[in-house]
Amino acid sequence: MKVTFPRLGSMHIFCKAIAETAGIPYVIPPETSRKTLTLGVLHSNECICLPFKMILGNFIEALQKGADTIVMVGSGPPCRLGLYDLVQKVILEDMGLHYRWLTIPPRLTWGAIWKNHEETKELRKELSAKNVLLFPYGLWMGWKKMMACEGLERLAMKVRPLEIKKGETQRRLKKALSWVDEAKTAKVLEEAIRRGKVLLEEMEQDHSRRPFRVAVVGELYTVMDPHINRGVEQKLGELGAEVTRTSWFSTHILRTMRKNKADRASERMRFFEASKAYLGYDVGAECNVSVGEAILRSKEGYDGVVHLMPFACMPETTASGILTKVGQEWDIPILTLILDEQEIEGRIQTLLEAFVEMLEWKRRAA
Amino acid sequence: MFYRYFPFWKIFFEGLGWSVKTSEGVRQKEKIVYFEDSCLPMKLLVTHAVQLREKVDYLFVPRLVSIHSSFIMCPKFRGAPDIVRLATERKVSVIDETIDLRKGGVSLFQSFLKIGKKLGASKQESKNAFREAEDSFSKFRKGWVDRINRLPTGQLFEVNIPTPALRRVQGSPEPRWIQGPSPEPHMVQGAASSFEVGGKEKNSPLRVAFIGHPYNLFDVDISKGCLSLAKGLGMEIVTSDILSEKEIDREVSNLSKEIYWSSGREIVGSLFHFLSGGVDGVVFLTSFKCGIDALLQEFIKRRLKVLGGPSLPLLMLSLDEHTSREGLMTRLEAFRDVVEERRSDSQIVK
Repeated sequence: MKVTFPRLGSMHIFCKAIAETAGIPYVIPPETSRKTLTLGVLHSNECICLPFKMILGNFIEALQKGADTIVMVGSGPPCRLGLYDLVQKVILEDMGLHYRWLTIPPRLTWGAIWKNHEETKELRKELSAKNVLLFPYGLWMGWKKMMACEGLERLAMKVRPLEIKKGETQRRLKKALSWVDEAKTAKVLEEAIRRGKVLLEEMEQDHSRRPFRVAVVGELYTVMDPHINRGVEQKLGELGAEVTRTSWFSTHILRTMRKNKADRASERMRFFEASKAYLGYDVGAECNVSVGEAILRSKEGYDGVVHLMPFACMPETTASGILTKVGQEWDIPILTLILDEQEIEGRIQTLLEAFVEMLEWKRRAA
Repeated sequence: MFYRYFPFWKIFFEGLGWSVKTSEGVRQKEKIVYFEDSCLPMKLLVTHAVQLREKVDYLFVPRLVSIHSSFIMCPKFRGAPDIVRLATERKVSVIDETIDLRKGGVSLFQSFLKIGKKLGASKQESKNAFREAEDSFSKFRKGWVDRINRLPTGQLFEVNIPTPALRRVQGSPEPRWIQGPSPEPHMVQGAASSFEVGGKEKNSPLRVAFIGHPYNLFDVDISKGCLSLAKGLGMEIVTSDILSEKEIDREVSNLSKEIYWSSGREIVGSLFHFLSGGVDGVVFLTSFKCGIDALLQEFIKRRLKVLGGPSLPLLMLSLDEHTSREGLMTRLEAFRDVVEERRSDSQIVK
C-alpha cells in the first residue's frame, strides 16, 4: 500500500508527517508543474474549475510514480468540490490506472463514518498494529507541522514587503519550511520552528517603508496554492504590500469540525454577517466570506483587496459580480483575478504592478 | 426555472389580481447586459431584469435553493436575486422569497403565502390563488409532452394558447399535427422537406431525446430554437419530463456518490435511461460555463467509455451567445443522418 494525496500549498508537508510518523508508506505527488496541469487539462472538460484539473494531474503523476491509494478530502454541496471524487474516479478508471480511494468525510456524521468504514475495510488489513497505534501521534505531528508552516508563512507575509534584497524572503521561507518538513521528532520540530523564525526575522529589512495592506480573498484552493495563483502572495509582497489572508488549512479544518461554529465572534462569522447587506443567502463555499471580508477590510482601512477565483467557479462568479459593486460603494480597490490553465504569469505580474501603482496614487491623493 | 414553473407563477399572481409581464426576450446578442462573467442563462436573466426594470412594480426572482426534498439547485440561483438587485441598481423591488423544499425547510405553500403577504394579499386570497395555480399547473404538465411537439418553442409557455389536437391530414398515413397560430417560417419549410426525405419510406418519425436544463432546451435565446430545428428535421422530441422520478433514480442511485443537484440528477439519470432504449438518439444541450454540466459532461463521457461506448447516437451541444443557428442546423442534420442510417441498418438486420 502506498498512500498519496493532493498537493496544495504546503499541505504535503503535514500529510507526509502523518504518514511518516505512523509508518505508512506514501508517495508525494511531484511538485505541481506545467506537466501536471497539462495532464489534468487533457483529461477533463474545459469548463471544470482549475482545482479539479490540478488535483487530477497530481493524482495521475502520483499513480504513475507507484502510489495505489488516494486520500482525498470530501466536501459538501453546493460547490462542485463535493463531486470531484465521483468524476475523478471514472476518469482514472477510463485511463486504466489502478487505485483505491479513501474520502475523508467533510462532516462527521454516522453515515459518513459507515461509508468510511466500508472504504477502509480492505485497507485496514494492510495496516499493522504499529501503524494504527502510531496514527494519533501522526495526526498530532501533522497538526503541529501545519501550524508551524502557517506561522512561518504568516511571518514571511509580514516581512516580505520590507526586504531589501528582492526574493530573499522567499528563499529563507523555503529553507525554513524544509527544516520543518525534515523534523522527525517533536523536539527537533520545536527547534526547526525557532530557527525558521529567527532566519526570517534576521533578514535585512527596511523599516522606513510603509507597506500597503492588501487582503487576499476568494476560493480557498486558489488562495492557498501558489502554483494555481502563480505566487500572487509573493508577487504582491515583493511589490511592497503586506498581504493578509484568512483562508488557512487550520481555519478550514476547524470549520469542518465545527470547532469555531459556536464562537460567534470568529472571523468567518464576522465576514458572513457583513455580507448580508449584499447577499440574502449563503451561496456556498467562500462566496459570502469573500464579499464580507472585502467590506470589513475596507472599514478596517486596508488599501486594497485581491479576489482570486478559478475560471467558471460557480460561487465565486456570483461573488465577483457583487464585489464590483462593493468596490464602488465602499471605495476600496478590488482586483479580481480569474485563473485558468493558460500561461498567465506575466499578465498577473503586470496586473499586480498596475494595481499596486494605483494604490500608491490613491494614498498620495488622500 | 421560468421554463418549468411559469404557468404556476402566472396563475398565482393573476389570482391575486396582479398582471404578469414577461420580458420580450433578447434575440440579438448585442443587447445582452454583461454584469458578471457567468453562464449564458445567468447573463440573460440579468438582461431580462434590466429590460423590465422600468415597466414593472415588482420583479419576481425567487431564491431557488432547492425544489426537491433532498437535492439542491445550482449555487448561482442562490445569489441570483442579489445579482439582479445590483444590476438593476436597486431601482425595482425584487420579490426574492427563498424556496427551499428540503426537509426542515419551508414548504412551497408557506413560501407563497409570504409572497402574497408582501403583495398585500390576505392569507385566504393567497391560499385560493395557490390552489388554483396548483390545479392548472398539474393540468398544464399533463399536456406538456404534446405541447413540446406541437407548438413552436416561443409559444410553449403562453398558457392561453391551447395545445393543438392531433388531426389526420388527408393522404398521409401518419397523423401530422397542425402548427400553432403563428408558426415559425423555417419550421414549416423544414417539416415539408423532412416529409419528402423521411416521411415516404419510414413510417414513424425519429424519436430523439433532448436532455438538459429546462432553460437550455426551451429558451430561444439560449438554444437558438434548437427544438424547432429538430422538429423541422422530422424528429419527435422526447424530454426527461416523461420520466418518473423513480426511473431517473434507478440510473443514478448506484453511483459511488450521490449527485446532489436535482437538475444534475435529472440530466444524468434520464440520459442513461434513454440511452438504454426507447428512443432513436439522444441530444444533450449544455450552456458554456455551466459548472454542473461541465462536470457531468465529463462524467457521462467517461462512464460511457468505461461501459463500452453508447449504444445509441449521442450528440452533445454546448451553447453560448455566439452559437449560430446555421452551425446548429448542420450538426443536427448530420445527427439525423446518423440516426436514420442506424435505424435502416437495424431494419436490414432484422
